[in-house]
Amino acid sequence: MNVSATPALEARDVHKSFRAGRIVSTVLDGLSLSVDAGELTLICGPSGCGKSTLLSILSGLQPADAGQVSALGQPLDGLDKRALERFRLLHTGFVFQGFNLFPALTAYEQVALPLGYLGLKRDTARERAEAALIEVGLQSRMHLRPAELSGGEKQRVAIARALAKEPALLFADEPTSSLDAANGQMVIDMLHRIARHHGTTVLCVSHDPRLIGHADRLLTMEDGRILEDRRTPPKVVAKPTGTSR
Amino acid sequence: MVSLARKTLLYEWRRFLPAVLAVGFAGLLQLLQAALVLGIFGGAAVYITGSSADLWVGYPGTQSVDQGRAISPDVASLLYMNPEVERVEPFLWVDGDWRGGGTGGVSVFVSGIDPGPNGLMFAHALAPNLRARLREPDAVIVDRADLSKLGVGIGGSASINGHRVLVVGVASGLRALGGVNVVASLDTARRLDNDPSDAGRPTYLVARLHDPAQAAKVAQTLNGNHGFGPYRVWTAQRFARRTMLFWLFDTGAGAGVLFLAGIVFLVGAVITSQALAAAVVGSIREYATLNALGVGVRALRWVILEEALWVGALGLGGAALLGGVLIALARREDVPVVLNAPVTLACVILVLALALVSGLGSMRSLRRADPATLLR
Ligand SMILES: Nc1ncnc2c1ncn2[C@@H]1O[C@H](COP(=O)(O)OP(=O)(O)O)[C@@H](O)[C@H]1O
Ligand SMILES: [Mg+2]
Repeated sequence: MNVSATPALEARDVHKSFRAGRIVSTVLDGLSLSVDAGELTLICGPSGCGKSTLLSILSGLQPADAGQVSALGQPLDGLDKRALERFRLLHTGFVFQGFNLFPALTAYEQVALPLGYLGLKRDTARERAEAALIEVGLQSRMHLRPAELSGGEKQRVAIARALAKEPALLFADEPTSSLDAANGQMVIDMLHRIARHHGTTVLCVSHDPRLIGHADRLLTMEDGRILEDRRTPPKVVAKPTGTSR
Repeated sequence: MVSLARKTLLYEWRRFLPAVLAVGFAGLLQLLQAALVLGIFGGAAVYITGSSADLWVGYPGTQSVDQGRAISPDVASLLYMNPEVERVEPFLWVDGDWRGGGTGGVSVFVSGIDPGPNGLMFAHALAPNLRARLREPDAVIVDRADLSKLGVGIGGSASINGHRVLVVGVASGLRALGGVNVVASLDTARRLDNDPSDAGRPTYLVARLHDPAQAAKVAQTLNGNHGFGPYRVWTAQRFARRTMLFWLFDTGAGAGVLFLAGIVFLVGAVITSQALAAAVVGSIREYATLNALGVGVRALRWVILEEALWVGALGLGGAALLGGVLIALARREDVPVVLNAPVTLACVILVLALALVSGLGSMRSLRRADPATLLR
């Protein structure tokens, strides 16, 4: 077991419900969870069980109704919109099911764009963007637009876009759901490698059972609760090289 | 830094084309409207703008140059007493009825001017040798574009107020508003004048100063003097503007211009903001992703504003190009069009304001860029 001082992500007694007209549906009802730094944690469970809702609360995209949420030791509840944006800018990367790439931008520009907002110098931004694209194996595709890329390549651009920010936290919501098996495999392996090589805390949620063998830790969720918390034996994964942040 | 606005504009130009066209046409319409209004209503002041006088002296309260009443010729000596005044010249305005050439009568304005080579009146419109021909008794000059309306050619004759006149030449830049300008010598004009109350008195006295820059000051000094009967002194610039504004608002054209400008602005802004909003909505998931990655809503708004300003600049460029061609064409066809710097600047500002307002209007669609919606 990994024994780190503070978990990278922590949720305590989190509640979240949505109201549709007069009907209130509770999605998370007193959920508690902590995610360790520097590994790939996979939350698996059937559609509609609240995985995405949990991810959006942990990543500061959406506030919880009640309970405490902290990321990198910093409480997220009570931060206003601007402060949350700032936190996400500095510390988080996202990969979604949709690739969400600007049709007008080349792969390189997609990755470099957020770096400009991070206030990086031109050269630093260029180096980081190129390094990220090389890391996801797209060095020969850097100057192509989304229309000229395959689905798998587009998702790799999205991963590079998140990776280039060098975030401590990387969130992925159904990153493989719009990909075929081979590309899905490649994407989850890539996320795993990022956790190991960069010490990034990767939280991935998915209903795709094929991903189960590829995580350091597997949480099974149903109806807004964690049913099972399991560590996969380290045959798939070499132990992190102690660079967790 | 990657310019999202510019890249998007270039790549999705089809999406932005309606906006550019809307802005461009709005700009073109404003520009042409302004040029036409300036040209047409500037025509009312052609007596002033076509002359080289610095000061105009007329009856107090005269609202427009065509509304003049006779003043005492003795005011001239008052003018000459001011050391700044270099030359004073009478100008006689006579309303006339043109007969001949099978026209069945045309209402004309006869301008009686000093035909001398140093004459101030219509100095810009009439070359010295042309003016000299006015020395002939009963000689008149008309604008080239009015010939057909008057039913004469050069050398042709007709009658004004029952007196015979002879067209000795044509010029351009003499066209009037609401009638036809006929230029004659002071002597000829006096003969044509049937109004006994004028009795040879001038309608205006015009003066040139040694230093035109002193016009406002000299006018003020002269207006402080009394004793030669009622008179009032204006600088040429003031009097021209007074005349033009009188026509602009007396005819209701001014209100029309403002109304049309408002409509054009509104329609342009609606089309432009719709097109911009459509472009934003088309990429709403991408904007939401940027927001998830921590790019603030403010920064995203800037992207849209930048797009709007580019659309404005492109539309403006198109309008300037097309407007230039159309105005040149209009000039060649003797259509009165005039553009001056302040009015052109006003058009530019209006177009950029239109783009800006459209950009601000389309920003509301950014509210849908909520990253929580990207999660399934
Ligand atoms: N913004 C929302 N408004 C209303 N209901 C929502 C909203 N987001 C999620 N839900 C509901 O919450 C439940 C859990 O959704 P979600 O977290 O997306 O599930 P999962 O990601 O596990 O498929 C679903 O029943 C869904 O309909
Ligand atoms: Mg989901």
